Amino acid sequence: MPIGPFGIDPVIWAVLRLVIAAGLAVFVLLNGALAQTLLERKVQAWMQDRLGPYHVGPYGLLQSVADALKLLTKEDIRAKLTDAPFFLAAPAIVFTPILASFVVLPFSSDVMGANLSVGLLYLTTLGSMTVLGIVIAGWASNNKYSLMGGLRSAGQLISYEVPQILGLVTVVLYVGSLSMVDITNSQPGPLVNALFLPFAFVTYFIAALAETNRNPFDLPEAESELVAGFLTEYSGMRWAIFFLSEYGAITVVCAIMTTLWFGGWHGPGVDAAPLLGVLWFTLKTYGFVLLFMWIRATLPRLRIDQLMGFCWKVLIPLALVNIMASAVIILAFADPRLALAIVNWLLLGGLVFGLPFTQRRRLLGFRKRTRESVAMRDVRLSP
Amino acid sequence: MTVPLGAFIAVSAGLFFIGAAGVLVRRNAVVILMCVELMLNASNLALVAFSRRAGQLGAGNPLDQRGSVFVVFVFVIAAAEVAVGLAIILAAYRNRPTVNVDEIRGMKG
Amino acid sequence: MFDILEPLLFFVFAIGIIGAGACVVLLRRITAQALLMALTFASMAGMFLLLGAETIALFQVLIYVGAITILILFGVMFTKQDDRGYGLFFQRQTPWAAAITLVIGVPVAFLAFSFKDPITPSAKGGDLIPLAGSLFTDYAFPFEVASVLLLAALVGAIVLVKQDER
Repeated sequence: MPIGPFGIDPVIWAVLRLVIAAGLAVFVLLNGALAQTLLERKVQAWMQDRLGPYHVGPYGLLQSVADALKLLTKEDIRAKLTDAPFFLAAPAIVFTPILASFVVLPFSSDVMGANLSVGLLYLTTLGSMTVLGIVIAGWASNNKYSLMGGLRSAGQLISYEVPQILGLVTVVLYVGSLSMVDITNSQPGPLVNALFLPFAFVTYFIAALAETNRNPFDLPEAESELVAGFLTEYSGMRWAIFFLSEYGAITVVCAIMTTLWFGGWHGPGVDAAPLLGVLWFTLKTYGFVLLFMWIRATLPRLRIDQLMGFCWKVLIPLALVNIMASAVIILAFADPRLALAIVNWLLLGGLVFGLPFTQRRRLLGFRKRTRESVAMRDVRLSP
Repeated sequence: MTVPLGAFIAVSAGLFFIGAAGVLVRRNAVVILMCVELMLNASNLALVAFSRRAGQLGAGNPLDQRGSVFVVFVFVIAAAEVAVGLAIILAAYRNRPTVNVDEIRGMKG
Repeated sequence: MFDILEPLLFFVFAIGIIGAGACVVLLRRITAQALLMALTFASMAGMFLLLGAETIALFQVLIYVGAITILILFGVMFTKQDDRGYGLFFQRQTPWAAAITLVIGVPVAFLAFSFKDPITPSAKGGDLIPLAGSLFTDYAFPFEVASVLLLAALVGAIVLVKQDER
């Protein structure tokens, strides 16, 4: 048991360390969420050729502070018939797994919560617990639209967990370990995993977009469709907790992508100064966050049957083929990277270039059948 | 002071018999399914506890992972069973809109 | 000083398991029952962690809390639950249930304490690699059979709830 600084009793230091670590995690999560709300509005504004928030603070940089103050002081409106304990518990059930995910993210070789030997499985498990909170939120609001939004969101989330895990499995097959530190250390220098596992990366990226309810998969919180989906009855600080957990989930998912496919904390100068790893990790993670926001500003929204069809009929079969091929290659070759790269880039090319062909054939089939059924109707009606 | 193996087995037995009582007494089909899940969980706990005990008999004892492997298969079977069970409940619900097993007696002579 | 931590954690998880399990059987409100079942599963995962089986604990949370609880909640939401209550404790089977629980269950639970071997946490670094080794070498055939079983369950569940398109 290590003696704490200033000679504190070891037991008190152990408890104090726990409290400080939890406080740091909450601090990082909250500040990340604040930064991301502002970043999102500014980035979307610049992409839409306007300025974004501009009044509060220099260049609108204090807008998040104003948002936070507003949310804190808002009245807590609660409809009378909502199921009170579940209504109140749902934001906590959604927020807690996201907070708990921060413990295994490898910010640097020294700066880490815990190097679990099953770190990646832990992150996946926590990701699946947030679905429960969303279902409870939809149910407890006693509101038809919330219930629909909650169930649709749950269906989308559990469907897209499968390609998410299948994408991760390919990397784990190659690295041979579930520990985040081992995965980072398997990519020394500029030879990152994305060079020879790009299809797994794209699968995980698309599934992560769906898992965090981001465009083009944000039907559950689409404002024009279901009021606000399962969030309808939540206002003020309760809504803020859902919002925080969404941005926290985005941060965790981007951190996973950085670790698995882009080298994690590696970058120029890390060997000399290990703390520089934190900078590289944060820069790479926020690069992906910016990519998420870029996609949100660009693409239109998918309908629920379109996104389910895409998951089950396109992503999952291709991901399964990828895993089979990767497993065979890893067993067959001593250095499987070249063969893995060939298979992955081929599959990626098939996905990107093949999708328009199959969709075009399907659309033509629809048009033909619609024309036929209309023609038949006219034939029957004529005297 | 470590926890003896018997404590884990006692908890497992307690949960199993609570689940069994639930299956016998409750009338709601979904609740019966939940109690069956409790029973499966109880057997999982017993399996893992005994597997760990067997693993302590000696380093590299080849018997020490059979319990844990069986637990993985119980997970798979429990998931499949809940899916099919709920499908059956929904299909019966479509016929006559009730989940009370006393009222679903179309096959009773 | 931290010696008491393990029995304390065991006690907390055991209370969680037995208490939540009893509530699942005894309560009336079905949403409360579903969530208490999830609490049972989570306490069970904690118990697995105490036994040193962390992979199985994470699988437990992933499969049971993350998927089966949601399936059951879907089942609850798509059917109309009648809360009238059908005389919960005075069914025809209550004497049988009481007999099984008291006459068989309680002695079994007490006899279980005759296993006096202590479970010590193993220092060999987790159960992921031994479990994976066993599963994919000695038990690869049951693994494949389980996959086929899952496929059959998937197809069967879809066929059962499919409505004829008119």
